[in-house]
Amino acid sequence: MAGRPAEGGAGIGLRQPHYTELFGAPPPLGFVEVHSENFFADGGAALAVLHQARELYPVSLHGVGLALGSAAGLDPWHLDRLERLVQRIEPVRVSDHACFARAALRSGGPVVHASDLLPIAFTEEALAIMVGNVMQVQERLRRPMLVENLSAYLSFADDSVSEPEFFAQLCRRAGCGMLLDVNNLMVNALNAGANDPVAACCAFVDALPPGIVGEIHLAGYRQTEDIAIDDHGSRVRPGVWRVYEHALKRFGAVPTLVEWDTDLPAFGVLLGEAEQASALMAKAATA
Amino acid sequence: MNASPEAQRQQALLAAIAGQAALPSIREPQTRAARGLQAYRANAEALAERALGAVFATVQPMVGEENFQRLACELWQAHPPLRGDVGEWGGEFPEWLEAHAAMARWPWLGDCARLDLALHHNERAADAVFDAASLALLESTDPALLSMQLMPGTAVLRSRWPVATIHAAHRVDAAQSEAAFANVRAALDAERGEQVMVVRQGWRAQAVVLTRAEADWADSLLAGTNLSAALERAGEGFDFAAWLATAVHGEWLKDVVVLRD
Repeated sequence: MAGRPAEGGAGIGLRQPHYTELFGAPPPLGFVEVHSENFFADGGAALAVLHQARELYPVSLHGVGLALGSAAGLDPWHLDRLERLVQRIEPVRVSDHACFARAALRSGGPVVHASDLLPIAFTEEALAIMVGNVMQVQERLRRPMLVENLSAYLSFADDSVSEPEFFAQLCRRAGCGMLLDVNNLMVNALNAGANDPVAACCAFVDALPPGIVGEIHLAGYRQTEDIAIDDHGSRVRPGVWRVYEHALKRFGAVPTLVEWDTDLPAFGVLLGEAEQASALMAKAATA
Repeated sequence: MNASPEAQRQQALLAAIAGQAALPSIREPQTRAARGLQAYRANAEALAERALGAVFATVQPMVGEENFQRLACELWQAHPPLRGDVGEWGGEFPEWLEAHAAMARWPWLGDCARLDLALHHNERAADAVFDAASLALLESTDPALLSMQLMPGTAVLRSRWPVATIHAAHRVDAAQSEAAFANVRAALDAERGEQVMVVRQGWRAQAVVLTRAEADWADSLLAGTNLSAALERAGEGFDFAAWLATAVHGEWLKDVVVLRD
């Protein structure tokens, strides 16, 4: 490989059902993103495909398992595997979530991994845990990482710091950046019963310091009778596009991913979503 | 040492999702909190079934979708994941399944799960390239000083059940299915056990049926035994030349190595 391909425009997730079209006639994309843990194996087909993708596009490694907010700390095994993958792939970005997953089920019991993105409290103590864990990852990887805001179906009664303030302090103290998931903002606003969810999301965006966002995620959500579920299984909703445009005005044309993880559409549909994001990025870049 | 308040909070929420404790102090009203909790439980149940089904692709259709979903949730509770890569979860399934009272009428399920697991591990094993030049050592060096390394992820299973035949029957298309399952029934009726070697061909793991002598030989190689001792264990019925040709063609062999003291 002569050098890392240049990044420009929106990216998409690398998904097996799309391999034939993606590798057969590679479309113009800013980058491709994968879940880091899916490539933790020593070898095999998945890793070979990722190496192939790396020849065509910048690759962003997005983790779902570091559990950065876990009071139980990071799993050294996980960190070893992530470091190895970063060395193998040389990703354009490394990110994970502001969540916890590692904890004992009972006092004195073994630490298990929930395999989910569980909500953290927005307190000073939770912030200190997150700062320590993020710094540990960054020291190991010798590079800054991005931390993503969650869609959370539960929150804690004694939260004492607003979520934007939590991220502002996290980024300042740990030296990391933020991965702003606009769809997650919308899901949280809807589930909180916001009168004007778009306005609530824009207020969140406005409360973030302008320089901290290093990537944006867009996705679809599923609205059930009583709750909005962040399922990444449909087109980006109009309200999310509006908040995205607002975020681009505030943060500039930061790299943007269209996430579509369940009920995968035809490749052309996904590309259409990415093209829409790219057009908005281009507009923001020239504004 | 007492756990910190955040550690206690996280432990409480995880236990609540697992149905083992009440929710910690939550901001949402009760109905809303119950719905949120249910969303996390649904995530865990769906992931358990999906993750286990990806590994135990033969066991899943054998026990049926509904049973498999229940088993996956039970296993998640009994042996929750320890790692953040769900591809690492499920190693306890074969033994756990074997001991499960509801599965007692299918005593071959445990070994079928072991084969599925070996195939899964094989496909995640390190990639390696066959060192053809190392074959020259067979001409120049005392076999008592040599061994052969099989490709990473290679494994041998010995079962009192026809596990490879069962595995194969679940992979044929509809037109061949009837004949394949007739083979399974005949093998079960005859109480025919099988020795199986798991190897990778291309990117896919394959189950290859071995004779007892071939299984002894492969076991010896996997243990790093020298070739003289491995041949002796395999016995007179073992055809080394034929095995070597098959191993090279099938990409089973990594290299020939000189043993150190």
